[in-house]
Amino acid sequence: MILLGPDLTTAGFNEEINLNKSKALYVEYEVLLPGESDVHVEKNIFLGSAVKIELSCRLADKHSHMKILQVTWKKGNETIKHINKTEISWGIQLTVSENRKLGSYTCTVTGEKEFSVVFHLQVPQIAGREKPVVSYKGDSAILICESRSYTPIAWTWYMTNGSEQIAINDSLMLDKYVIDKADANVTHLKILKLTEEDGGTYWCEAAFELGKSKGKLKLKILSLMVPLKPFLAIVAEVVILITLIFVFELYSKKKEKRAEDEKEFDQIEQLKSEESNGVESNSARHRKV
Amino acid sequence: AFMAGVSPSPRWGWAVVGGAFLQAGLVFGGLRALGLCLGALGGSFGAQAGAVAWVGSAAIASLQLGGPLGSALSTRYGARPVVMAGGFLAGMGFLLGAFATRLSHLYLSVGLLAGLGWALVFTPSLGAVSRYFPTRRAMATGLAMAGASVVGLALGPLIPLLLDAYGWRGSLLLLAALSFNLMVAGALLRPLDVPIESPRPPPPRGQAGLRGLLHHGPFLRYALAFVLVDAGYYVPHVHGPARAQEVGCDEQRAGLVMAVTAVADGVGRVVAGLLAARPTASLLRHLFAWSVLTGLALLLLPLGTSFGGLTALALAYGFCAGAIVPLQFTGVAEVVGAGRLLHAIGLMQMFESVGSLLGIPQCSLSGWLRDLTGDFKVSFLAAGAFLLAGSLLILTLPSFFRTSQSDGSSIEGVLDPVPKGLELSSVPLSPPN
Repeated sequence: MILLGPDLTTAGFNEEINLNKSKALYVEYEVLLPGESDVHVEKNIFLGSAVKIELSCRLADKHSHMKILQVTWKKGNETIKHINKTEISWGIQLTVSENRKLGSYTCTVTGEKEFSVVFHLQVPQIAGREKPVVSYKGDSAILICESRSYTPIAWTWYMTNGSEQIAINDSLMLDKYVIDKADANVTHLKILKLTEEDGGTYWCEAAFELGKSKGKLKLKILSLMVPLKPFLAIVAEVVILITLIFVFELYSKKKEKRAEDEKEFDQIEQLKSEESNGVESNSARHRKV
Repeated sequence: AFMAGVSPSPRWGWAVVGGAFLQAGLVFGGLRALGLCLGALGGSFGAQAGAVAWVGSAAIASLQLGGPLGSALSTRYGARPVVMAGGFLAGMGFLLGAFATRLSHLYLSVGLLAGLGWALVFTPSLGAVSRYFPTRRAMATGLAMAGASVVGLALGPLIPLLLDAYGWRGSLLLLAALSFNLMVAGALLRPLDVPIESPRPPPPRGQAGLRGLLHHGPFLRYALAFVLVDAGYYVPHVHGPARAQEVGCDEQRAGLVMAVTAVADGVGRVVAGLLAARPTASLLRHLFAWSVLTGLALLLLPLGTSFGGLTALALAYGFCAGAIVPLQFTGVAEVVGAGRLLHAIGLMQMFESVGSLLGIPQCSLSGWLRDLTGDFKVSFLAAGAFLLAGSLLILTLPSFFRTSQSDGSSIEGVLDPVPKGLELSSVPLSPPN
């Protein structure tokens, strides 16, 4: 990103509410604005569990001279009144303990120009898989979802039937579905004895303290006839090439034999004619100087 | 009719090189593709990644341990039928693997059977090439072995596409069909009308063939040199992507580093073969030079801590490592004589399996060193040390210091009725390289 315009420094504090350990984590984000006054900066913050968080927006040094008329903090349309002010930064403190408290918090600084920063507080996102998992009829497939940095409380799997999402209960259908919960951060859904109906979209849902998050996976079921066609095509190519090579070899051997036979024939003819000519041909051979 | 002492037109030699190029591509490309397919198994058989990776190691071990079998069978029956049979077995291995329902099925099919098929393809093909090019073996072998690089590069993007479209079963099925093309390569290895080897004097040590080689001191040292070389040679191939990511490259850049290495490898094979094809070239000395350079490149590789630095060093490594390949298989003729070349290659492959198993699997020495020290620097240093140790062994060979000429009497295309070694005890006609 090219620095074309003024910049705002944003800082996020967060302190864990945990009676057993007190760990203060200070994270500072610096974002550079691309330029125009009505383009704002967005920041995503993922919260795995309840925290006390401080969000602040700060003016970068080179703009500290700018006259500030007003600084507003809003969540949605609601204005937040209690702002921690310093000379060049304006912050708010939040205790995020329930899903309601998540959302987008905007800091708007109005001076000669207007800048705004939006903090999106949300539950951690679960990555599914872009490309479909490919498997075959009668085979088993394993769908995997992972949440690396944040440990969910529980995992649930859903299958899409038409437009509905149906939860998968592995204890009800033991010979079809097996959900592996060995690691809290990873979930495996193993589907046995695949049929064509098993293909489609699956969702893995992770439940966190502050809310739920879903990842999307696709399963594609093929029959073995599908790769069989290119397989047969290539085998046909092999047979054709081998046949061509051997035919060419037989042909060129026959040509060689014919050439050899002709040469032999010519040689015999030449010998016969030399014999009959005898001395004359010898004397005819003399060196050219 | 059987024509004594006449070989097929020299032009067919190029078809043989083409066939050997194709088989090198399908054998080593197939091996690489197998590795990628195994990676896509994704726990289908409830096995861990380590156990699955051993299927690939089983294939390599089978390929190399089967070397003497390949050379023995092709000496007896000629290269063509053996290579075609091997191609069929390799294809069948992949075909059966596509229907595997258990990990053990994969070990037997894609591991042992395909590996055995490859063993029957590889050594005899090299033997056929050297019979068609008795004076320019290194060049012809270099060209043929470049096939492995070219196909390897092509497979890089192709196999993931296959896996996305057909899954691992479908991909193994299609790889089976592709492997059947080994039979096409075999068909090209037209047998030469060799006059029966009656004028051949008995081999110097009185014992013919494979067993004799087992008592041949210099040959055993040559083979040991390559066991050492193999222990270090594959480290960048196996751990390259991981090392690239260790120094900060993302997946795409890591792939680029590996691709650059592969191209350099292919070019190195051809160039080294061309350089060594001059009549005054001493193959062993070229081999020594290239393996020392490869060892040095390995020692310097840990210094590549940026994308640019790593790519440059990887390029140097790839080129020198590729250069070793044709010289390994033709240099042995300077040690045991051209007549025993085929058996020597086969036996050498068998010994090399020890080195490969040290260097190739993820849970090998280099992987262990990495786990021990935290990054790959020591693994590369150890690999370089192995390369240099192997190079030193080559120095100890008697033919190394004797200046030699290639078979001066042979014209390309006409066979030596008397296979003789390239060592001549006469006065050198030209200064050594």
